[in-house]
Amino acid sequence: MMSDTRPSTFAAGLFAALPIVLGYFPIAFAFGVAATGQGLSGLEAFALSLFIYAGAAQFLAIALISGGAPLLVGALTLIAMNIRHVLYGPALMKRAGAQAGRRFGWAWAFGLTDEVFGAALGALARGRVFSEGFMLGLSLGAYLSWLSGTALGAYAGGGALAGYPVIEAALGFMLPALFLALLLSILTRAQLPVIVVAGIVATALTLLWSGTVGILGGMIAGALVGVLEFLDADKN
Amino acid sequence: MPIRIEILLLCLLVGAATYVFRFLPLRADLSAMRPGGILARFLAATGPASIATLFVVSVLPVLQGDLLSQAPLFSGVLAVLLGYQASKSVVTATLLGSAAYGAVFALI
Repeated sequence: MMSDTRPSTFAAGLFAALPIVLGYFPIAFAFGVAATGQGLSGLEAFALSLFIYAGAAQFLAIALISGGAPLLVGALTLIAMNIRHVLYGPALMKRAGAQAGRRFGWAWAFGLTDEVFGAALGALARGRVFSEGFMLGLSLGAYLSWLSGTALGAYAGGGALAGYPVIEAALGFMLPALFLALLLSILTRAQLPVIVVAGIVATALTLLWSGTVGILGGMIAGALVGVLEFLDADKN
Repeated sequence: MPIRIEILLLCLLVGAATYVFRFLPLRADLSAMRPGGILARFLAATGPASIATLFVVSVLPVLQGDLLSQAPLFSGVLAVLLGYQASKSVVTATLLGSAAYGAVFALI
């Protein structure tokens, strides 16, 4: 494979963000439409994108808000969902090398989403030299696309797609598709029991109780299986 | 267009926590965290567990219809699997899955 020796500037980062920009925009649009369709105001939908900036968690936030989940339960569920992000920074810096700068990490790390992390890791794997300017460009391009997609979707409003049932159906499937793709991206053999148990518990509790209880129960059961596996392995 | 105070609080709480998750590990010395240790395992398991849960809960309503009405779902899932296999990109797989779902929905 050819090594990527072009300078890792802010502009290069923005350019590298292009595939993410093209992908984020329709997903964020779908989010804006779904949020306003479920009774959130345009400003509330935009605030979710502005502050949380994590697609799957934001879609879940709509369900939790419209389902009337208490604030603390909602916040803890969403926070638990985003814990996976703690692994991205160290993984990226390990790949970038010991001398890689992190002085402006406070700025570009805000935008270290699943896709930005994946794109940065891919660029480094192709031989690009790590730079904070590049990371800032990559993060900013993706973030602006997410914000503008949300704003347009919220502006179009929940009823915007009523005359286009096919597009409405396709956008409606974007959330399960996003979850499944994310799952595939982090799937390892060791995590299979975690995923199976989380799925079974979530299904049972959702059918017996409610979606919110199913989500919380599935997450906790899956995480416990991960810890139990560790204890088991430690004993042997 | 107003913003409810509890939704703003939710945004700030979850946004702050997510920012901490993304930023702090860049600065923290994680060498003390054993790679296969209990905390590492817990953190590693929480992500897949939450995403698997959310996938299941988001498709459950569709699975309760008749077989024909589930055809878009199966097509969408298949397109995500194949799309991810081919592209290794979450965004590409998501868009392909969504397009396949819409296409089959239009056909039936």
